[in-house]
Amino acid sequence: MTYQKPIPLKDQDNQAYWDAADKHELVLQKCNDCGTFSQPPGPTCANCGSANVGWEKMGNDVQATVYSYVVSYRPFLPGFQDELPTIIALAQLDRVPEVKIMGNILNCDEQDVQIGMPVQMTWVDITEDRALPQWQPVTN
Amino acid sequence: MGTIKDRYAIVGVGESERSRKSGTTPLHLALDAANAAIKDAGLKATDIDGFMNYNEGDSCTSHQLATYLGVRPKYVKDIQGGGASTEMLIADAAALIEAGQLNTVLIYRSLNGSSGTRVGRGYDPDMLQGALAGGSFVIPYGSASPSQWFGMYAMRHMHETGTTKEHLGHVCLSFYEHAQRNPKAFLHGKPLTMENYLATPDISSPFNIHDSCLELDEGNALIVTSAENAKNCTSRPVYIMGMSARQCHPHAHYWNDIDQVASDYVAKELYENAGVTPEDIDVAAIYDCFSWVVLRQLEAYGFAKRGEAGEFVAQGNLKMGGKLPTNTAGGMLSEGYTHGMNNAIEIVRQLRHDYEGTDRQVEHCKIGICTGWAGPDIAGAMILRN
Ligand SMILES: [Zn+2]
Repeated sequence: MTYQKPIPLKDQDNQAYWDAADKHELVLQKCNDCGTFSQPPGPTCANCGSANVGWEKMGNDVQATVYSYVVSYRPFLPGFQDELPTIIALAQLDRVPEVKIMGNILNCDEQDVQIGMPVQMTWVDITEDRALPQWQPVTN
Repeated sequence: MGTIKDRYAIVGVGESERSRKSGTTPLHLALDAANAAIKDAGLKATDIDGFMNYNEGDSCTSHQLATYLGVRPKYVKDIQGGGASTEMLIADAAALIEAGQLNTVLIYRSLNGSSGTRVGRGYDPDMLQGALAGGSFVIPYGSASPSQWFGMYAMRHMHETGTTKEHLGHVCLSFYEHAQRNPKAFLHGKPLTMENYLATPDISSPFNIHDSCLELDEGNALIVTSAENAKNCTSRPVYIMGMSARQCHPHAHYWNDIDQVASDYVAKELYENAGVTPEDIDVAAIYDCFSWVVLRQLEAYGFAKRGEAGEFVAQGNLKMGGKLPTNTAGGMLSEGYTHGMNNAIEIVRQLRHDYEGTDRQVEHCKIGICTGWAGPDIAGAMILRN
């Protein structure tokens, strides 16, 4: 069964993020001048306009807490009709609280999701060479 | 824009029929709306020398509309845009008149939003990833509908302030109640109770179908001219006291900061320009693509303190006889949906006292506010008086 959902499109500005994701790692764009992290990444720093931006490796152990979420009961895109309801969450990184990353919360009942809930990043292989960062509840 | 106070006016408003299936084109709907607005103002089409339109690739052009009104305009302008575009184009019109370029401008929004191109669905996912800033960080997760995007903002805001689902329901109930007095409202004859509201399943939490605006086939138009020119019109002019045309907060990163909204920046300039305070406002048109968006703007524009908008609404303050009768024709939740222009038309009619002697008129109203919201990142607003 081929993957039906949209696959993240790589472009000039986000390539490093998605290349790292394919290797099950998180990298974040950071401004070398003012130190601001940019998520999503862009051509320059959106805080100071500097083009002197680089990438900081965050590794593959990424802890976060749910900052907000929606439970989506209708599919607005192809592929999601088979996995309703879909939990879409914005998770705040423990190590870099100014950065929040959207993802689905996998392996979680929609009644159990709540703001403040700890989650960890997990990477789902969606094609032979692509992987999608996702969230799952932290289990002890 | 402070210097334009009371020197420009809206002198005509009009709309087409609204339906789920117009069976006609946005050009026909625009012509119906434009002709109604021109008649309302007591003008001839050839008195209009500027035509402006906003659209999302779903309308006719200003040039087409002018052509089929038999006008050879000096100026046409079509912008890509949704909410807050009404306010921005009114400001542009005033600026062009101020500069001596134009005399009278017709602004319209026309779309087959139900039977044609729909705003909230039906996009190609790859196109959306490219079109939306940071789209590849959103679309692969199934988030492609404004109900999901604004739902994310709403859930956080509700968590922080204690605003409840019932509070959202009171916004819907207030506007649906207004629609029952407006025979032209699409949901006229479809009243809503809190029991029904709470029993309706969510589409994207915290929103159900009642929290979401209608998508209809509809055209709207309004005419802006100088206070001097307004004397030649047969309608009662409604003067622009102040505007904040369109303010933005960081575009590409708005997923990373869901606490601030552009309306927060608009309010200060708006009240300064108009020289009034929230207490002076008698009637309101608050952009209502979703119920929660109304609550958040009530805070932003100073009608309720942060976290108190829900209670403000629960007390019936948005209803006729309340402190701030709002979206008195039913709003985009229950009258129609043209990215804000139908709400702007209603506030003009209220300030002209068009409904005098009926239960739809906000008695003795003098000053009104009209707000636009193009998502959390762009907003505009104006204050009007009779
Ligand atoms: Zn910087």
